[in-house]
Amino acid sequence: MRSAAVRDVTVEIAGVRTAFVTAPAEVAAVVSQRYAGFLSLAPAHWRFETGLRPGGLVPLEDVVVRSGGGPNRLVVERHDFLATLDLAARAGTLALGVVDPVTIDTFLRVAYSLALLEAGGLLVHAASLGRGPRAWLFPGRSGSGKTTLARLSPDATLLSDEISIVRLEAGGARVHGSPFWGELARAGANAAVPLVAIHFLRHADRHAAIPLMPRQTLAALLPNVLFFAAEPALVARVFDVAAGLVERVPCFTLGFRPEASVWEAIEHAA
Amino acid sequence: MRRDGYPEQNPRAAWRVYEGEAVIVSPEDSTLHTLNPVGTLIWEAADGRTALAAIVTRVCEAFEVDPATAARDAAAFVDQLSSRGLLMVLDAPRPAA
Repeated sequence: MRSAAVRDVTVEIAGVRTAFVTAPAEVAAVVSQRYAGFLSLAPAHWRFETGLRPGGLVPLEDVVVRSGGGPNRLVVERHDFLATLDLAARAGTLALGVVDPVTIDTFLRVAYSLALLEAGGLLVHAASLGRGPRAWLFPGRSGSGKTTLARLSPDATLLSDEISIVRLEAGGARVHGSPFWGELARAGANAAVPLVAIHFLRHADRHAAIPLMPRQTLAALLPNVLFFAAEPALVARVFDVAAGLVERVPCFTLGFRPEASVWEAIEHAA
Repeated sequence: MRRDGYPEQNPRAAWRVYEGEAVIVSPEDSTLHTLNPVGTLIWEAADGRTALAAIVTRVCEAFEVDPATAARDAAAFVDQLSSRGLLMVLDAPRPAA
């Protein structure tokens, strides 16, 4: 029987609901505050039994994803958390070395990169912006202009300035609002907007959208996909979803100056 | 570098062909490989049941290349993809499933 002190806090991102089942009140409080706007009362698809890591912080620099000793089982570790995921059962555990928003956010980015995969979804290092019923994805490494473009677009709906979420759907794809923010420190709108084009940003003297063929796009897109596991079946699935994306959506390189008039080139291209 | 055998794709490799050129992700290290049209023909023919010699014949039919050059280049290509874990070379054709 569960203790009355155990709390369920469910986050819904891109249609996938993840419950943190946790006894420490501070965990529930941090999740509720950090993901306000993405909370749900509906039944969760994924459940993580969440607690505190007895050893606290450990000396580990980067996120490590390794096999969890069975098919569909993974272990994810960083200096500030240790998690297990059972992809088939859609369940796992999360032990936090420290309870803070950055730690939980890092874990959720990894968890969603895996959880969305079976739903034809990817986390992409990209800004995404919507205008009415149309959305655009702007992948790029730091310094490519993602935040600049978001700042140049006050009338657009911000879906993400840093980590965008894309899901395939029949005949196309949709961009979902993302709580995983970057320099703007602001969550995207919790919305799902049809994706009309992908533009790879680069700074230039003038605005110009140059079409890319699917092969070029795939090579440009994959390095921007957030994915941490090395299991061949999962890597192949990432490739298939990315290929499905570039086959459905027109893609361009977008040279731009930091001026709002860049939207003329964007909207004219697709 | 062997010039016989039956090349077979690594079934764990994910791939697509766009504009006649294959894009393959390596199952071992997630590296992305892009093949030219000749390499793509060889890759697509590598079903574990087609002899390398027969694949070379297809290359000669599809591209203007003499058989000796095609055989040498195809063997080197298969060797290269094998070293990257993308292909295996079977001694005998794989029985039909």
